[in-house]
Amino acid sequence: MGLRDALFGKQKLAGPARERLFALSTAAVTLDTELGLRSAGAGGVVFKPLSSGDFVRAENDLQQLLDGVAAESGSKLERREDAFGYTWIIVRDSDLEDQVTGVHAVAQGLEEAGFGGQLLAAVFKFEGGKEPVYWVYGYKRGAFWPFVPAGEGKERDNAEELELKAKLEKELPIEPDLSRWFGVFDAPL
Amino acid sequence: MKRRSYGRDSGLTLRILLTGSLLGLLYVVFAVILFQVLSVGLVPMIVIVVGLAFFQYFTSDKLALKASGAKIVERDEAPELHDMIERLCALADLPKPRVAVIDTDVPNAFATGRSPKHAAVAVTRGLWQRLEPKEVEGVLAHELSHVANRDVLIMTLASFFAMLAGILTRFGLYGGMFGGGRGRDNNQVPVWLIVLVVSVVTYFLSQILILAISRYREFAADRGSALITGAPENLMSALQKISSEIFRIPQQDLREVESMNAFFIIPASVKGSIHGLFLTHPPLEKRLAALAEIAREMGRPVA
Repeated sequence: MGLRDALFGKQKLAGPARERLFALSTAAVTLDTELGLRSAGAGGVVFKPLSSGDFVRAENDLQQLLDGVAAESGSKLERREDAFGYTWIIVRDSDLEDQVTGVHAVAQGLEEAGFGGQLLAAVFKFEGGKEPVYWVYGYKRGAFWPFVPAGEGKERDNAEELELKAKLEKELPIEPDLSRWFGVFDAPL
Repeated sequence: MKRRSYGRDSGLTLRILLTGSLLGLLYVVFAVILFQVLSVGLVPMIVIVVGLAFFQYFTSDKLALKASGAKIVERDEAPELHDMIERLCALADLPKPRVAVIDTDVPNAFATGRSPKHAAVAVTRGLWQRLEPKEVEGVLAHELSHVANRDVLIMTLASFFAMLAGILTRFGLYGGMFGGGRGRDNNQVPVWLIVLVVSVVTYFLSQILILAISRYREFAADRGSALITGAPENLMSALQKISSEIFRIPQQDLREVESMNAFFIIPASVKGSIHGLFLTHPPLEKRLAALAEIAREMGRPVA
């Protein structure tokens, strides 16, 4: 943070870090062969919509982009609002690579319209273990972390998450600060 | 020493303001005693003041949480609150602060901590219960902006220079008195009294300046909230709700909640008599106008 920010307060949100989303496609092999985890067929991007007119216009452009992505890859795209007021664009496709591409296209579209700062995370669901495993990608940090919900309530299997971190560290950029590993219990994936 | 809070005339603001002022007065009295009675020189004095400033800086979070009666809550005690804060932190690129809840009906919140890594955000039960989630989010984003803007550091620095100014004023005065005062001791006011008066006046004036800085930081945090949530109107409606008189009516029987008494100790009539100069927060109308301006700015085309 610069002196200007310290004196006058932050004037704008930090933009996304250099994108490393595609690392997940590469790590997919390890996830499958070593851990038996396969894509559950859905990935999504979460962002905080703005209330301004420009954002609404950018979102309309986004819809065209989504239609384009859907037509090209054959993925099914869905739009959901969650209880926290965030918007999810969900890419349903059996192929993880197509999910990543779809999510990347949406994020890119928002960034090009000048709303990169609104991007919260990308989330990909995997199954094959006891519980579903989510890989969350934080845009501000350009890093992934695992999220494994456990049981009925809002509980997480931290042991499993740390094991996933240890196993994937070499292939995925993993968020080193554990306090930033927020969960997405209500992920509509 | 920086404590953040909402609503310019809530009991919490006054209570915390009072604590802060008393703490500052304590500094002055302490310094005067050291300086006069123990005849400590200027250099050790500055060392002590710097030491105290450091102590305050490093314990600011604990002091603020204690003073307000906030209790740290873990994820299982307030999962929604934790979820909301985690997401806002991710958007603002901040580490997650500790989360605390104050058990009172008056909607309010504050942030404290010397750095984003040592930050804590506290909300009252009233804030969570009486405001819509979107409004709570606006308020939390405002508090997180204080953390991001390092307002505790800024305010500690501000008070440090105020303290230093006070000491130097006294030192100069003391020296002057010594030089010109010899031989006329009989018709002179005692030196210690003058020193004390000057200290208090200096302290009083610096407090006004510090409060002015504080009000400016509020505008900055309001802007930050608008940026993080993308919706200035949520904070606007939250501020209106927080400052509306209706929320001063307790929902529970006061006898049931003993700790509530502390918040209603200051009579309602005091509110009107406090001049704008002595407020840590800008008046509501000004904040709303600034937020409306931000909303218009956000509607402009992005270059």
